[in-house]
Amino acid sequence: MIITKKTLNRRTLLRGLGAAVALPMLDAMSPAFAASPSGPIRAAWFYVPNGIDMRNWVIPEPGPLTSLPPILKPLESLKSELLVLSNLTANWGRPHLVGAGDHGRALAAYMTGSFVHQSVSNLKLGISADQIIASEVGRQTALPSLEIGLEETRQAGNCDNGYSCAYAYNMSWRTPTQPMPPVSAPRALFERLFGADNFTSPEDRARRLAMRRSILDSVLESTQTIQASLGPVDRRKLDEYLTSVREVEQQVARAEKDGVVIDPGMEKPFGVPAEFGDYFKLMTDMLFVAFKADVTRVATVMIGREGSNRPYPEIGISDSHHPITHHQKNPVLLDKITAINTYHAKLFGGFLQKLKDTPEGDSNMLANSMIVYGSGLSDGDTHLHDELPTILAGRGGNFFTPGRHVMYQRETPVTNLFATMAQRMGVRSEHIGDSTGRLAELSLS
Amino acid sequence: MRFLCSLVLLSFLLLLPARGQLAPAKKATPVPSPFTATVKPVLQTNCSMCHNAKLASGGLSLDNLDATTLETQRIAWERIVAKLKSGEMPPKGAPQPVPDKRTSVVEFLEKSFDAADRSRPPDAGRVLARRLNRAEYANTIRDVLGVRIKAEEELPADDSILGFDNIGEVLTVSPLLMQKYVYTAEKVASLAIGADPLPKPAVVEYKAEKVRRLDLGATEHTDHLDYSADYLVRVWVRGHLGPNGAPVSLRLLVDGQPVRTMDVPTKENETATVARDAQRSHHEARVYLEAGPHSFRAELVGDEFRKPVPPPPAPGGNQSAQQPLLIYPEKFDMQGPFPPAGGARASRSRILTCDPATGGPACVRQIMTPLARRAYRRPVTSAEVDKLVAIAGKATAAGFKPDQAVQFAIQAMLVQPAFLFRIERDPKGRMAPISDIELASRLSYFLWSSAPDEELLSLAEGNKLRKPGVLEGQVTRMLADPKSIALAENFAGQWLETRSLAAVKPDPVRFPMWNAALADDLQAETKLFFDSLLRENKPVSEFLTADYTFLNARLARHYGIKGVTGPDFQRIPVDPAQRGGILSHGSILTLTSYPARTSPVLRGKYIMDVILGSPPPPPPADVPALDESKATSPASLREALSLHRSDAVCASCHSKMDPLGFGLENYDPIGRWRIADGKTPIEAGGTLPNGVTFTTPAELRALLLKDLPEFTRNLTEKMLTYALGRGLERFDRPAIRDITSKMEKSEYRFQVLVREIVTSLPFQNRRGQLADTQATAAITRDTK
Repeated sequence: MIITKKTLNRRTLLRGLGAAVALPMLDAMSPAFAASPSGPIRAAWFYVPNGIDMRNWVIPEPGPLTSLPPILKPLESLKSELLVLSNLTANWGRPHLVGAGDHGRALAAYMTGSFVHQSVSNLKLGISADQIIASEVGRQTALPSLEIGLEETRQAGNCDNGYSCAYAYNMSWRTPTQPMPPVSAPRALFERLFGADNFTSPEDRARRLAMRRSILDSVLESTQTIQASLGPVDRRKLDEYLTSVREVEQQVARAEKDGVVIDPGMEKPFGVPAEFGDYFKLMTDMLFVAFKADVTRVATVMIGREGSNRPYPEIGISDSHHPITHHQKNPVLLDKITAINTYHAKLFGGFLQKLKDTPEGDSNMLANSMIVYGSGLSDGDTHLHDELPTILAGRGGNFFTPGRHVMYQRETPVTNLFATMAQRMGVRSEHIGDSTGRLAELSLS
Repeated sequence: MRFLCSLVLLSFLLLLPARGQLAPAKKATPVPSPFTATVKPVLQTNCSMCHNAKLASGGLSLDNLDATTLETQRIAWERIVAKLKSGEMPPKGAPQPVPDKRTSVVEFLEKSFDAADRSRPPDAGRVLARRLNRAEYANTIRDVLGVRIKAEEELPADDSILGFDNIGEVLTVSPLLMQKYVYTAEKVASLAIGADPLPKPAVVEYKAEKVRRLDLGATEHTDHLDYSADYLVRVWVRGHLGPNGAPVSLRLLVDGQPVRTMDVPTKENETATVARDAQRSHHEARVYLEAGPHSFRAELVGDEFRKPVPPPPAPGGNQSAQQPLLIYPEKFDMQGPFPPAGGARASRSRILTCDPATGGPACVRQIMTPLARRAYRRPVTSAEVDKLVAIAGKATAAGFKPDQAVQFAIQAMLVQPAFLFRIERDPKGRMAPISDIELASRLSYFLWSSAPDEELLSLAEGNKLRKPGVLEGQVTRMLADPKSIALAENFAGQWLETRSLAAVKPDPVRFPMWNAALADDLQAETKLFFDSLLRENKPVSEFLTADYTFLNARLARHYGIKGVTGPDFQRIPVDPAQRGGILSHGSILTLTSYPARTSPVLRGKYIMDVILGSPPPPPPADVPALDESKATSPASLREALSLHRSDAVCASCHSKMDPLGFGLENYDPIGRWRIADGKTPIEAGGTLPNGVTFTTPAELRALLLKDLPEFTRNLTEKMLTYALGRGLERFDRPAIRDITSKMEKSEYRFQVLVREIVTSLPFQNRRGQLADTQATAAITRDTK
């Protein structure tokens, strides 16, 4: 392997990794590879709420994937594209000395690897892995990142034992205090990706975009005038607004420059499909188009909010998800959990298959992607935050060697996986929350 | 006694802060005699056999305590008062203080707290610059521009804390939201003026698989339209056989409103003779529709069509034995958009007070100046208007028509921080009254969730709002205005959590009658009930006891109440043995149930938390939740939950929570009255920790009425939080006490609460810059 561009000093890299990690010569050390000739590399996270029935997930021995456990059965045909990773931990999901609130913490800590400040009003967390990546590579695409959530309604108030709902509803955090709320309405996602516009002609589009930019410019100006007269706290509030205005302005500027309109290949959706499976498919179909058209390269998909109470009548489960997961080892309840877990895995498989079936350069979209599927809880009953169920799908641009089950030392932070992905995306910062290094053995080459 | 002591041990560990020991403060001041005379004897006689240095039950030792700890250990003392007041402590079986003594201890302690709070310099706190939330945004647009939008279709949900989504801290602006604001502003401006040319009309088909068959003769579909325009809605009717061969008429409804009724031929035609059932006819109506979501329903008129659709015949079954296909509306198509036949929309003529085509920039200025004043809710500077006029100028230069240019100016106005944020200035001193302009906005967003109207804004601009009687008169006027329904929608919907009802999904197998319409009805019942209590200035005790509610025919049928007809809600008296007050509203009863069964724990928690404002602390870490779901019957549920009360760890909270919840067992998971669940009769009784027992929901209601002061304090705190848009602090307590004592003296009338909030210190004032300087100075002093 040859490093063509000198961007990272190998020794600098080693210092951050600790001795435990063997260091292959990663081609991601050179961002020149990040956009490989066969297509851009993308990262996505699918979060499953309320843990997993681990009886039917765990694979006892490391090595090549042979027969899959029941929950993963729907992914059988994609086995060669999966890395099942065992023994990863989300330490900051644990109670430590604080106490209950495991669901709020589980989602909040998962992507940030950070302590979750117990409060309903004063949010304090960390920056999530996807946002760390998006802040570095996001500028190359129309949207730095995309946040999708498959659960619509927000519940009022304190969500989990003194933890703000923001923790249980948002897996993606742009700053330690600002969550990135996921889009859950199909129509809203469509408009975020493809615009809400109904331009009548290319000329109309050009002059309307120019107007939009003038308007945003005037907003930036007046905000600065107002800010000057405000107290420090209110000034910060308006800062946040200013940042968002700037970002939208950049999007408009990019759209003006590109002059390209993406064909979404589907009608503008309306409402939320009644069946979860249809909902999942509709939303991930849009994610697929977003990846394919390179609208974004970073995405999070919250299959349900942590503590989700969704019933799944279409697979015969009319009880709420969360109470079932307090199964107390009752086999009837455990079987229901397995049924839900298997259903989710099947839907996830559908998305992966679509990526795999789409050729890109000399390989396919899945080969160019890194898709994490997992949860911040293993057992939802006792709220365990270690031995997390984790899958990494895709080859990250022919870099990972899937088709295997890898067992790490216990207590290995799950953020080490995310740090590895970040590195693969060409991100310079070495740490993601509590990560202690990068994961070895993902690649055998 | 040992058992009694241990029973409460863990509960106190939870209730007290980490350093919960009541240790005297360093500098002890002389013990005031009332404390020694009143409080100490009771604590020594009735409490310290458990709460002493040796046993320290619940981590609480009352040894060595004196009056100085009233301030230094305030939280712990308040817990002690709460426990004494509710009769939870001393526990059942332990020696009790005589009632008089208990009362005097409680009174003394509460007075001491109040005196301590009032001895501090008054502080009105500070409300953050607040972004309009979704409801406020939509209402403000409605009132300023005369355009109605469905905010939940346009904007993402706002985060909420402290139970409300109008709290400054979490009203953040993400890039996603900003993008939405830009799009929504474009849409709103275009709806208001309607200057953009419509695209070429097209046909959209809604085939059979995309529509919903409601019954034998009704079919519905929904769609989101991008333009406000005329559309041609066409219904395709399949088959030709009417019931009894009689002629049939078809009614088209848009958004539930009948638009047109048409005759449908029931004569067999050629298609029918060739292929049975394939005969179709179509029927159309041209309607004006606003951009946004709409529902379209085609229904054949007549009771014989209001029957469920029979299931499709089993495969391989005898096809000829099948019933002949009755005529039914099968699918839709829609053509449009066409220019509205009705001419210019009302908002356009109201906004365009001059013709921008001939009036040029001066006309744009004339249009935008009053609009910006209303939208920014204050007098505007000419520089601010210049900015909007300049945008219109740019649009004209880019070749847009003059009325389109005005549209762009409106767009620009709707993304300005002055529109999106409610901003107040910090006064110079420690604290000062907010300006009349700021007060007008506080008032209108509190009562209307919207901008001040012309009358209120003019009064504020003339600094007349605080003239004698003016504010009072405005509150009366504003409460009487239909717009004050916003309090029922936004305040009550969140306080009582009924907004979450849309997300509740009862088990479709056990409760096939549950649907969105029923959920809407249940929500409407609670909303109308709240609204009537407020409008009619009823005592707030009626929340707990009212012997009437609001029902329409569908909801009355759901409750099993006879004699209510029609789709409109009416005030209906209820049988007090079965229903009364909000705790018998199906909305709340459904919210506090699991999909397939009731949960006494959730319902009990709801009463403690939402109604009485003393939420039980979270369950301790590492204690598994009791598996309610194992219980297959109410009797076994009761048995399972009895574990809660025999286990010392759980008992401290569940001994109150569970009995309260069992008191509502006569209501099933979707709020219907029941006397048995399956074959097991319902036992709706319980014993509260203070030893009082009850056997029916009516008795439970009567007991809760004794907690009216607690209920009122809770309602006051919730409404004050909502009115201020910030969390309450210790310095707000005197204001809360003033309001509740006023309520007490005014028969707990609901409007008294609103008026007292409006005139309260935190609502009328704002913390100034000097308070910050002093606070910084104090910190510097302390650290030296």
